Amino acid sequence: MRDLLLYSHVILGFLLVILPVLLLVYWKKPTAFSRLIAVITAVISWAVLIPAGSLYLMFYPATKTLILSGAWPWAHSVFMETKEHWGIMLPLATTVAAWLYIKGDPKASKKWWVLVIVLAILVAVFGRTVKLGAGTI
Amino acid sequence: MKSIKKKYNFYAGAAVSSWALLIMIVVGEIYAPFKDFLKGTFTHHWIGKVVIVAILFFLVSALEKKRMEEKHAWYSVIAVIALIFLFYIIEFFE
Repeated sequence: MRDLLLYSHVILGFLLVILPVLLLVYWKKPTAFSRLIAVITAVISWAVLIPAGSLYLMFYPATKTLILSGAWPWAHSVFMETKEHWGIMLPLATTVAAWLYIKGDPKASKKWWVLVIVLAILVAVFGRTVKLGAGTI
Repeated sequence: MKSIKKKYNFYAGAAVSSWALLIMIVVGEIYAPFKDFLKGTFTHHWIGKVVIVAILFFLVSALEKKRMEEKHAWYSVIAVIALIFLFYIIEFFE
């Protein structure tokens, strides 16, 4: 169960970087197919909350205990706390980006897609930092 | 697709729900009964924040169609992202 959640969390998060990059690089002008990709990206940004939330609620409490008793308590207090809430900001930015794109305004959607890419990468980097924090005990 | 384009103003939803998230974070950390209320109602404070943000996002996007512009949403989302990080840094050192 944990592996299934972890892999879906990582794969969906990875898609939140790759799909916006494809939209920015290859589909600058919206087509029927690229509009579908934009909608799918927005759906993924909401769907990723399911494995992310499940991992956070079911498996993170043990990791949190380790981190707080280790040398990097800030890995939880700053990085995990920030990450869990930035994760809620991701679907908002992605939905705005997709909405602008399917409306036929790819120019306006550009900076929103860039924000989605940057935020998704930061969330992943913060997640890795949290994991490293658990290993400092 | 056409209905999504016309029926919603996601600028409004993004701006309002972003600030609502920040308010819930700050109030939840400095006033424990609010966090307890979220836990009691939604089983966990994080689930409570997700549900409230999602409802606000789609509700406000559907109801508010004219007044909110792109810059309001953009600066709100960027400010809230930065303030969340800043808040937890300050809280850690307090």
